[in-house]
Amino acid sequence: MPASRFSNLAAGWRGVCLVAITYIYFLIFAQFAFLNRLNQIGIAGAHLQQIMATMASGGIALSLLATLRAFEPWPRLRLQISYIICGAAAALTVLPLNLPGSIALSFLVGSGLGMLTVTLVSNLQLWIGPKHGLWKIGAGTGIGYFVCNLPALFTATPNTQSVTAALLCLGGIFAASKTLPPDASCDEGVHRRELSFGVVLAAFTALIWLDSAAFFIIQNTPSLKAGTWQGTFHLRANGIIHLTSALASAFLLRRRGLSVVLGLAVLALSFACLLLHQPGQVLLASLLYPTGVSLYSVALVAYPLFLAPSTSPHQRTFRVGMIYAVAGWFGSAMGIGMAQHLRQVPIPFVVLAAVLILGPAFIPYVRHYWRETTLVGAALAVALCIYLASSASGRKSQPTLTAEERGRQVYIAEGCINCHSQYVRPGSPDVLMWGPAGAIEDLRSQHPPLIGNRRQGPDLTQVGGRRSSLWLKAHFFNPREVSHASFMPSYGYLFNDSTRGDDLVHYLGSLKSPQYAEHITVEQRWQPAESEIAAGSPKEGAHLYMEYCATCHEPGGLTRSEWKSHFTRLPPDLQAGPWLHLTASDPSTRRILRLAQIIKFGIPGTDMPGHEYLSDKQVVSISLWLNQSIVLHQRVANIENRSGEDR
Amino acid sequence: MSLSSSMDFVPDAAEASQSERQSIAGRQVMAATAWHSLLWLVVANCVGVLLATMLLLPRIDPLLGDWTYGRWMPVHMNLQLYGWCSLPLVGFLFVVYGVRRVPAARWASPVLWLWSAALGVGSSSWLSGHSSGKLFLDWTGYSRVLFPCALLCLWGLLAAAFVIEYRGRTSSLLTARTLKFAGLALLLLVPALIYIASSPALYPPVNPDTGGPTGASQLESTLVIIAILLLLPFGISDRERRGSPTIALAWIVFAAECLLSLGLGRADVSHHKPTQWISLGSLLVWIPLTPAYYSGFHWHENTRRWRIAFLCWWSILVPTGWMLFLPGVLDHFKFTDGLVGHSLLAMAGFVSSLLIFVLVQLMGKDGWIFNRSWSFYLWQASVAAYVAIMFFAGWREGSDPSFSITPGPLRNSIYALRLLLGILILVASLDWFRNASSLLGETNASMPRQIAAVSS
Repeated sequence: MPASRFSNLAAGWRGVCLVAITYIYFLIFAQFAFLNRLNQIGIAGAHLQQIMATMASGGIALSLLATLRAFEPWPRLRLQISYIICGAAAALTVLPLNLPGSIALSFLVGSGLGMLTVTLVSNLQLWIGPKHGLWKIGAGTGIGYFVCNLPALFTATPNTQSVTAALLCLGGIFAASKTLPPDASCDEGVHRRELSFGVVLAAFTALIWLDSAAFFIIQNTPSLKAGTWQGTFHLRANGIIHLTSALASAFLLRRRGLSVVLGLAVLALSFACLLLHQPGQVLLASLLYPTGVSLYSVALVAYPLFLAPSTSPHQRTFRVGMIYAVAGWFGSAMGIGMAQHLRQVPIPFVVLAAVLILGPAFIPYVRHYWRETTLVGAALAVALCIYLASSASGRKSQPTLTAEERGRQVYIAEGCINCHSQYVRPGSPDVLMWGPAGAIEDLRSQHPPLIGNRRQGPDLTQVGGRRSSLWLKAHFFNPREVSHASFMPSYGYLFNDSTRGDDLVHYLGSLKSPQYAEHITVEQRWQPAESEIAAGSPKEGAHLYMEYCATCHEPGGLTRSEWKSHFTRLPPDLQAGPWLHLTASDPSTRRILRLAQIIKFGIPGTDMPGHEYLSDKQVVSISLWLNQSIVLHQRVANIENRSGEDR
Repeated sequence: MSLSSSMDFVPDAAEASQSERQSIAGRQVMAATAWHSLLWLVVANCVGVLLATMLLLPRIDPLLGDWTYGRWMPVHMNLQLYGWCSLPLVGFLFVVYGVRRVPAARWASPVLWLWSAALGVGSSSWLSGHSSGKLFLDWTGYSRVLFPCALLCLWGLLAAAFVIEYRGRTSSLLTARTLKFAGLALLLLVPALIYIASSPALYPPVNPDTGGPTGASQLESTLVIIAILLLLPFGISDRERRGSPTIALAWIVFAAECLLSLGLGRADVSHHKPTQWISLGSLLVWIPLTPAYYSGFHWHENTRRWRIAFLCWWSILVPTGWMLFLPGVLDHFKFTDGLVGHSLLAMAGFVSSLLIFVLVQLMGKDGWIFNRSWSFYLWQASVAAYVAIMFFAGWREGSDPSFSITPGPLRNSIYALRLLLGILILVASLDWFRNASSLLGETNASMPRQIAAVSS
């Protein structure tokens, strides 16, 4: 890299630091530490709202005051004073607080931040250097978010976070102490496409509104918080996404302009807000949310200086003041208010925000492709009217559904048919494995029949006879834990916020024909062929035992531990017994056969499942190993003598 | 005789500028049709790759939350069927009914966008857990209304183009007009049929020994494909010579098989009944008859490799389809990857090659977008390898269900290979889509310029 280029980049380190410090202060102190501190001293409800309103008032007031011409001549001093106010507010937070003190402190935080942000952004060229301003703002913003997401800082106590913020403000005072001469050629070649100030202001307001609402919802919903901001991995990933997105934003602002960045930001945030409606999609939302936030955060700093031509420094300062007062403080307050009252971001609001920001960019296309727009729009509207009319009339005649019927609907909705058949082929090996075949007439009475055409997993026609409700539920939560090498996804989300999961378990439990009782006698008559017994290997059995049985039958088995209180009868610890379904007087050969039957078909009426899909050789191997190494004669009890069972 | 009036429309000198304009509009319509078709092919292939990844690496499932394998499957299958497999045939209808001509041509793109919007709404509904529970007929709720609406709009455009053409007397043959009118009447039934067939209360005949379709059902659905195969050349090509005995023979055989199908009825009959598999065996006659039939027509030189490809796949599809239905064989392969392999043979091998052949014929010189050698051979070789490994996996699975239920190293190796082949198939489709995009851009840009040049 040529020396001059390096010096251009290095010259702006103060600006990068100031942007990063300001973001860290806002994010880790004003948004987290201060609120957590208030929570620690028991301030909540109406008092908390009073404090938040005071902070917003201070922020708006000082953001607007900072635009006055009287302040323009001393930007460096004003920035340093802002850092002193902010640092003092952070340091005071660690002191014992009461309600009046907290209100006063919140005003100090808000006013300090208001003056700090407007002063810094209006005069950033004094610290950012003559070249590569957008990249430096991107780096400063990205570093700010990255540092906030460092697990050590993110999970620190409010006092530690407050002290860190105060120390950073000290650093800010030092970094602001020297300024660079402003350069008119700053960031030449930046893509400037005229967007009126009013549109930009409205766009930033909508983005911050969405951001604040999503932030509040995630912060106050444990399941969402667990899926986004808890755990070292999540935090590190968030930090990296923020940093990458901030740099991408700088690149896009330079090459594609503000409207593209705002468009992408609103898409990311809109999808994140929509996904928050579905707890199952929180992971995807956790990728989109930081992306959207970082994209617009860079633009928020860069817009007044690099992307909006201003006729005078005062006009620039005025715009910054308006953006931070209206979009920043007002938008943020509205977003939090919306989230507090509605506990969600309503879909119409998301659509409105997206239309507001993306609309202007689409108008030329809509005009050019008016036939396409008109036809698609009209057809969507007509279809909606027909659908609403037909569903309204259908709703009147719809009976109340039972849990089983609702469960069947869940089965259809989740597309279980794509991996599981519900058809036992009569006279085929299916019958022994999956249960008795049904009649075509019964099939035709189902609407629709759920036969399926591909078995990625077992047939479910008689699953209610082969598996207990507990097994089904445990399997939905963590298939691989219950069923070795299963590649079925977890359906734990069905049990989160509704009865869908339990309904599905009910439905599957009901899949059992009256002929199943006869089928049990067939299972009990089953015996592996002599050749399979001869081929069985206890060594292989030991290996298979660890894969298929240990999760329930070892003292530390995962399924056994997690579902301990739910078992009808706790599965016996195979090291200790007792073995209630074996007879003490049986010879070894008979015991091997009985064990093989239990392994293959389970124990009817209990939580012990079968392993119908294993080959006879594998079943015999497990049986041989159990017989050799675990089943000691004195631990085998008669079935009539059930005792010593733990719950 | 040709149903396509645009193919035999020869402008005189006075109509030259008008003809030029029509030609540009026609190119635009076909480019847009190819673009929409390929868009859905690429999207469906991407979903296919995602599905193959989920089967091999289930650890990625948590990343997708409740968008699980079961919800992605209808998206994959329906986008292939209603997107990729249907839109080229919409292009065929555009040509037959004269939608390539202004003013009807102006509404081709809106209709294609509406079709795509309906597929987008459908995908979103399936991903949100809305399905009728019927494979390939998952339309339910709002999307069950919207998709037939899109079909109705298409029908409206075809009808309007037909009326414009009738008034303009551009098509002179009464027979052609009568056939087109009859076709229009039949096409009007399609939206209603899709709506009705999506109802959970209706279900086709069931083979009691497998739970799958009966021999009669398979014969019936294959005859629909054969009907399309027989009709296609009339819409997009001219006969080599009038009164070809092969063409007449093909139609006679088709009529006889339709009668056979009617005679078999729609009962729940096992494939073990000899009448079922023997009747289905009657389709074997199409192995020699189809190439002979197609050789009776003129084809654009750009279609050659695709014509050979689809006829080769056809000659594999028909006998393997019949063999897979035979007692013993179907009992072994039912519910296994073997049938997945056969579906891919049908859809990615035969149907895709046929559709591209049709598109290339419709696009003429613009058909270059499909004719890069590397993407052609990549597609064909990948599909062939995919089919082979799925048959092998199905054969293993038929003997041992745990081969699939509790995957071991061999199954995982096969699935890894399957994923790789899926990616290669996607890469080939991406090449066509990229070419279609540049062609669409070129035709859109050239329209005003060329019209201006013609006007001056």
